[in-house]
Amino acid sequence: MAGVETQLMLSVGLIEKDVNGDVLWVWCYPSVSAELRDVLLSKCCLTLDSSMLHTFVFGQFSRTWYYITTVEVHEPTALKKVTHFSIVLTAKDFNPEKYAAFSRVLCRMYSKHGSPVRMMEGYIAVLTKGMCQNDENGSFLVKDYDAQKAYLAGSIKDVVSQFGMESIILYTALMLKKRVVVHHPRIEAVLEFTRVLPALTWHRKDWSILHPYVHLNERELESLRLCTGYVAGFVDPEISNRSDLFDVYVNLPDSEITVSQNAKEAMLMGKLHRDVGLLMVQSAEHADRTDSQVIKDISVKTKEILANLTSLAEECENSKITLETLKQRRFPPATESFLFHLAAAEQLLKI
Amino acid sequence: MFKKVACTVPGNHRHLPYSAAFPTLRPAVLTENSEQTQERRWTGGGEEVDGGCKEREVAEDVDSVKQFSSELIVEAVVRCLRVIDPPLGNGLSPTLPPGMSARFRLGMSLAQACQDLGYKGEIGYQTFLYSSEPEIRSLLMFLVEKLPRASAEASDQPAGKSALLQKAISAQVRAQLALPWVPPTCRLPLLCRTQSTGMSGIFRSQALSLPYSKGLGKPPVKEVSDYYRDFLLPVTAQPSQYASVPASLLERHALDLSAAQEWENEWNSQGLLTRLSPEGYRSRKRARLQKRIEEQLRAAAQPHPNSPHGPHSGPDLAEMLHSFGGATTGGTVLAKGTRFTHTEKFTFTQEPETSAQQMAAAASVMPSSRQSEEDLLAQQQDELQALQDQLKQLSIRMEEVGGDMKQLSVSIAQVSDELKQRELSNGEKEDSVRVKKQTIDLLPDAENNLAKLQTLVESSAKRVISLASQWEKHRAPLIEECRRLKELCSNRELESSRKLFEIKDLHDKIRQSADEAKKKEGLYKQLITEFENLPKDVSRCAYTQRILEIVGNIRKQKEEITKILSDTKELQKEINSLTGKLDRTFAVTDELVFKDAKKDESVRKSYKYLAALHENCTQLIQTIEDTGTIMREIRDLEEQIETENGKKTVSNLERILEDYKAIRQENSALAAKVREA
Repeated sequence: MAGVETQLMLSVGLIEKDVNGDVLWVWCYPSVSAELRDVLLSKCCLTLDSSMLHTFVFGQFSRTWYYITTVEVHEPTALKKVTHFSIVLTAKDFNPEKYAAFSRVLCRMYSKHGSPVRMMEGYIAVLTKGMCQNDENGSFLVKDYDAQKAYLAGSIKDVVSQFGMESIILYTALMLKKRVVVHHPRIEAVLEFTRVLPALTWHRKDWSILHPYVHLNERELESLRLCTGYVAGFVDPEISNRSDLFDVYVNLPDSEITVSQNAKEAMLMGKLHRDVGLLMVQSAEHADRTDSQVIKDISVKTKEILANLTSLAEECENSKITLETLKQRRFPPATESFLFHLAAAEQLLKI
Repeated sequence: MFKKVACTVPGNHRHLPYSAAFPTLRPAVLTENSEQTQERRWTGGGEEVDGGCKEREVAEDVDSVKQFSSELIVEAVVRCLRVIDPPLGNGLSPTLPPGMSARFRLGMSLAQACQDLGYKGEIGYQTFLYSSEPEIRSLLMFLVEKLPRASAEASDQPAGKSALLQKAISAQVRAQLALPWVPPTCRLPLLCRTQSTGMSGIFRSQALSLPYSKGLGKPPVKEVSDYYRDFLLPVTAQPSQYASVPASLLERHALDLSAAQEWENEWNSQGLLTRLSPEGYRSRKRARLQKRIEEQLRAAAQPHPNSPHGPHSGPDLAEMLHSFGGATTGGTVLAKGTRFTHTEKFTFTQEPETSAQQMAAAASVMPSSRQSEEDLLAQQQDELQALQDQLKQLSIRMEEVGGDMKQLSVSIAQVSDELKQRELSNGEKEDSVRVKKQTIDLLPDAENNLAKLQTLVESSAKRVISLASQWEKHRAPLIEECRRLKELCSNRELESSRKLFEIKDLHDKIRQSADEAKKKEGLYKQLITEFENLPKDVSRCAYTQRILEIVGNIRKQKEEITKILSDTKELQKEINSLTGKLDRTFAVTDELVFKDAKKDESVRKSYKYLAALHENCTQLIQTIEDTGTIMREIRDLEEQIETENGKKTVSNLERILEDYKAIRQENSALAAKVREA
């Protein structure tokens, strides 16, 4: 099992900022494409003009996850002329906790020895054995970090309590694979909030729709447009004017959710939605219910809806639904539209 | 002899030995303060505002201040005052009035004005009316000192040749401007010369070709230099009409000058900042301008469908563009040019056909007026009904199609999503299949292969790490080098910007210095002309000879003084020794006689006489000494008297008394007149 998981790591890289104020991509193993390297440099907080230091950021670019840990060099170490450095890990899986822990270990190694060789030894050890000895406190074990845990790490209760009944918009948008954009000037808040949203569609367990840290440049937007539905996080306030990029816009600082004009029709709300919304709010209000339990509640409700939809599909030929079958059932129009779009999202539609 | 000289030197003849020594210098140096000043004022008087009073020439025979008349002095002072302080001077009349009291008033106000200007010496109305030479001299010197410098320089001092020429030109222009314009028929011969249009041609300039005009700094091509040498006409022969030679030259000069100035301005303001060499900057600017012109021409040459000139001007322009661009960019422009002409041909051949078609269509639509009204109405009703039905059907179909479209778009989304997922899972599956295939291949001898694989993994891990450490050996110095160079580079950048700043500073300084140098050059030229204008006959040799003579005189006098001094000392010594001898002789005689006097009565008498004689002699000597002292005092007083006499105090007082009397007389006459009235 561990052997399979270790293969998920793609590369490790090193970015340094020196006394001249230059930020250099100084080392990597085994290799990083030039395009990805540029993206990673732009994500690294050292290249930003502000002196704000983001210790740990992560994101996705073209199905590659990256995790960047940045450290300031304080005490005199083997690193001369270097004021800050960042360890960049790229991997195929979403697991911020695992890679944060691992890159912290690598950071300590690098600032202690001043040479990437030791870092590479650790990387190879994790790659081949799934573990890495740390000089100070114990060892880093890959199997301590399960993907399931990473999916449950965010707090769904916070999200629901922040938006109340409006959370149903987020739920609907994710169920229908719509494009959700989240804005907050602080990247940490964006990362924390966006990683929870895919949990609303727990039955898919698809975190590849998450793009928590996107800049408004053509390259990244191009890669974003390739996805049907996504959850994207932006720190640039300019994003609110780019209605071509979203169906649902979440303004985190003001706790506002906006549905764009062209998605209004697909996002019509009916009784079914109210039921789900109430369930979400009630479940989240329970003090002694954990996040995973809340997610489970929502998931049960989702499965119910999907089971209904599948039973409808089974009546037709090929187990596929058409609009006509839905119309025969005489659902309210909002529910009919929702089910129709949901069927499309779940590939249950007859073509 | 010496005493005589010493006596005559003080007083009003102080200058005499001086002027005697330099007879030729006298008019230039000595009297400069008086006569020249006045001459200056007098001749420059045309520019002053004076109420019709004539300028006064200094008479020929007047060659010293001493000979100045009161009128001359008053006028000199008033004119000086007018220049120094116009409001003050304008209130004063330069002529001496006849009435005594008026004269007195004028004198007083003149004295007051001089004192206001800061004159320290003794001054009153008598200074002007009954002048003494030293007073007038010092007053005039003071006034000349006060004359404003700039105007004096501008108007009086001889300037350089060019300045003189300019002055002459401006004077001429002013004179011509002052003349009124007269119709041609009424012109006198004089006016004809300056105002006729026949003489002055229209300012018509032609371009001149000069050998050095192009390619500055670069040696010209051989053919061009040949042309310059063998065929180029001199500048004066180049214009078609001889009359336009000066105009062409002026034009050419102005052109060159303004071009140079403009270039310098641009280079200093923008060129320096680009950090290019002047040639580089020029070539870049040329390329930029050429590109812009080309774009403009191309935009203007776009075929305009309604323009009748299009077909004619188009090809010409295209050709021109082609040749223009060909000089710079070559092949690419050629392709563009041909495409441009193609499209043009296409549009213009199409146009007649399309317009003919349109005309035909318009003709067919024309309603025929022959149809009856009712028929028309019914027909229209039917048509309306049919159209409405059609509209309904169409809208229904639209809705249907819209629904279909919506459904289809959703389906497309689903399919594309599915496709993507399938592709992804395919890729993953392919990977896993490959791994599994290899695993299956290794399965038969599982234990062995596992061990082999493990050793392989371990060994390759070690190899990779050793490779990494080797790479590190290369990488670390390179990164270090890179950082070092970057630092160097940024330092250089800083340095260069600092230097640029310095260069700009230097440029400013250079310009300032150039200005200053120009100014100094002007001053130098002016001084040279001034120097040339100075009389040349006074040679240095004569001066030194005279100085040497004076020095010799002084030495001779000094020798005499020392001789007299030694004589006096000798006399003193003699007097002293004689006095001593006398005292001793008297003492001995006194003793001897006193001794005898005790014995003899007659001797006693003679002793008495001796004592009386001695006393009388002492008195005599005392008197002689006193006489000497008094004589000296008398001499001093005589000297004083002479000085006082020099001041003409007595005669002045008499005059003042007379003036007083005259004023009283005038006053009484006036009083009588008042009484009569």
